[in-house]
Amino acid sequence: MWHRGWWLAAVLAATLAATSVRAADDKYPRWQGQWVAIVTAGLEGRQFKFDPTRSRGLAQQAPLTAEYQKVLSQSMAEQANGGLGNYPTARCLPGGMPRMMATQRQEYVITPETTYILLGGEDPLRRIYTDGRDWPADLEPAYQGYTIGAWREPDAQGRYTVLVAETRGFKGPRAYDSSGLPLAFDNQSVFRERFHLDRDNPDVLHDEITVIDHALTRPWSVDKTFRRSPNPRPRWNETSCVEGNNQVVIGKENYFLSADGDLMPTRKDQPPPDLKYFKPAR
Amino acid sequence: MREGSAIAAGLALCALASVAMTASPVRAADDKYPDWRGAWGRFVVRGLGGQPSFDQTKPWGLGQQAPLTAEYQKILEDSIADQAKGGQGNFVEHAQCLPAGMPFMMVATRPLEFVVTPDTTYILVGGSDHYRRIFTDGREWPKEIEPSYSGYSIGHWIDADGSGRFTVLEAETRGPFKGRRAYDASGLPLHYDNESVFKEHLHQDKRDSNILHDEITVFDHALTRPWSVDKKYLRRSEAHPDWVEAYCTEGTAMVFIGKVGYWVSADGNLMPIRKDQPPPDLKYFKQAPR
Repeated sequence: MWHRGWWLAAVLAATLAATSVRAADDKYPRWQGQWVAIVTAGLEGRQFKFDPTRSRGLAQQAPLTAEYQKVLSQSMAEQANGGLGNYPTARCLPGGMPRMMATQRQEYVITPETTYILLGGEDPLRRIYTDGRDWPADLEPAYQGYTIGAWREPDAQGRYTVLVAETRGFKGPRAYDSSGLPLAFDNQSVFRERFHLDRDNPDVLHDEITVIDHALTRPWSVDKTFRRSPNPRPRWNETSCVEGNNQVVIGKENYFLSADGDLMPTRKDQPPPDLKYFKPAR
Repeated sequence: MREGSAIAAGLALCALASVAMTASPVRAADDKYPDWRGAWGRFVVRGLGGQPSFDQTKPWGLGQQAPLTAEYQKILEDSIADQAKGGQGNFVEHAQCLPAGMPFMMVATRPLEFVVTPDTTYILVGGSDHYRRIFTDGREWPKEIEPSYSGYSIGHWIDADGSGRFTVLEAETRGPFKGRRAYDASGLPLHYDNESVFKEHLHQDKRDSNILHDEITVFDHALTRPWSVDKKYLRRSEAHPDWVEAYCTEGTAMVFIGKVGYWVSADGNLMPIRKDQPPPDLKYFKQAPR
């Protein structure tokens, strides 16, 4: 009888353990696949927009302070004149947060300790730490910042459905989009994000981002959405900003590279670079 | 009574087991796969000097004693000669911040991270070489592969010791590759036809689980025979490794106009990188250079 009791207990334990393993596997959401940024069709500007439902630049209607509204206006004026404005990504410097979250194709790799967001181009990767760590005492400044997250189970069904994340600790300058729409040059932005699948469509992922930044008069929130590719084995094209980039920056001036590999002006009457360090031609 | 006590004890065990498993989610399911978490730094043989090399046990460049064909041996020698004069030789593309690709990306200039999932093993590299995906979902080779610096990798897991756990990841990486690619900063070349094939055997050291081996064999038309090396990585002890952001385009003092490199001086002007280097052609400018 004693043995039968242990046997029963063992069967119970095995059943519970097996259930636990499955439950553990099922604890995290299924975000596998390729997520393609949803951008409202017909808007002016390229795909990299913070609010994907509005055109880039002024049309974003960012709640900028007067000082940073001027930075944006000057950036756009400079770009109209052939310059790069306040857009360092044109030099293939990283866009960082939040521009990187407009990357067209994304992959989410979830492990208990870290959620990895694989992007590409000049911003290849984010790590969102979900291992319960505290903020490091010394944060190394980074364009993408340092991100700590936590999984939430808002509907108490035994599964995580929401990843909340906070990102701090930046390098700059950074811009939301190619117009040069600026973040504050003090690089003290904080981003709060809430990632979750759409309630009605598990093939749509939301990244609700709120930016807290000294260039803004109030926190700025947008809901970025991504659609899951139906291809179970999607193409992941390698992307390199440098490849095919025809901008050459020398000091504070930018030039174009011609098809024959020579420097060209980017604006009317732009002076050529100073060649004082070269020996005069004989 | 004894039966009741046993059941009660068993239930208590059950509860403990359940709590333990809930507290360490996925770990039980993950037991099939090896624990390669953490930051894996490059194994350095002291005293070799020079830049990181493909065969970690030998110095870079000529010291690698790569089984190159005569044609590609000359490319290496020309590259080294050009670099001695200030040029970039056959490493010019990576010097321009283009990806280095396979196999240089496995040199671990910065520590690598391996993220193992049943369908894909990700090798996170950083810098100009972002990451590799080794697909382990049983797929066939695609009919058309997009050319890339990192190539397209298919792998499979092997339970080499019959322990019920996977211990070895075998992978094959094919192109078409982009390039020119080099094994190291000397410009030690891979063939310009970009038809290299890499076969890898990744596994932890039998005696020390904090050593990871990547036994790589290169098949390449610049070689007279396949070239095999055993690259090793050491797992760092930090619980929370510092994954420093690193970008080739940030802080570089080099600028390329076409294929020709120049320095940018502290005052923001072009400078030659080699003696008697001519200035760039400014034919598209109206004003004469100062």
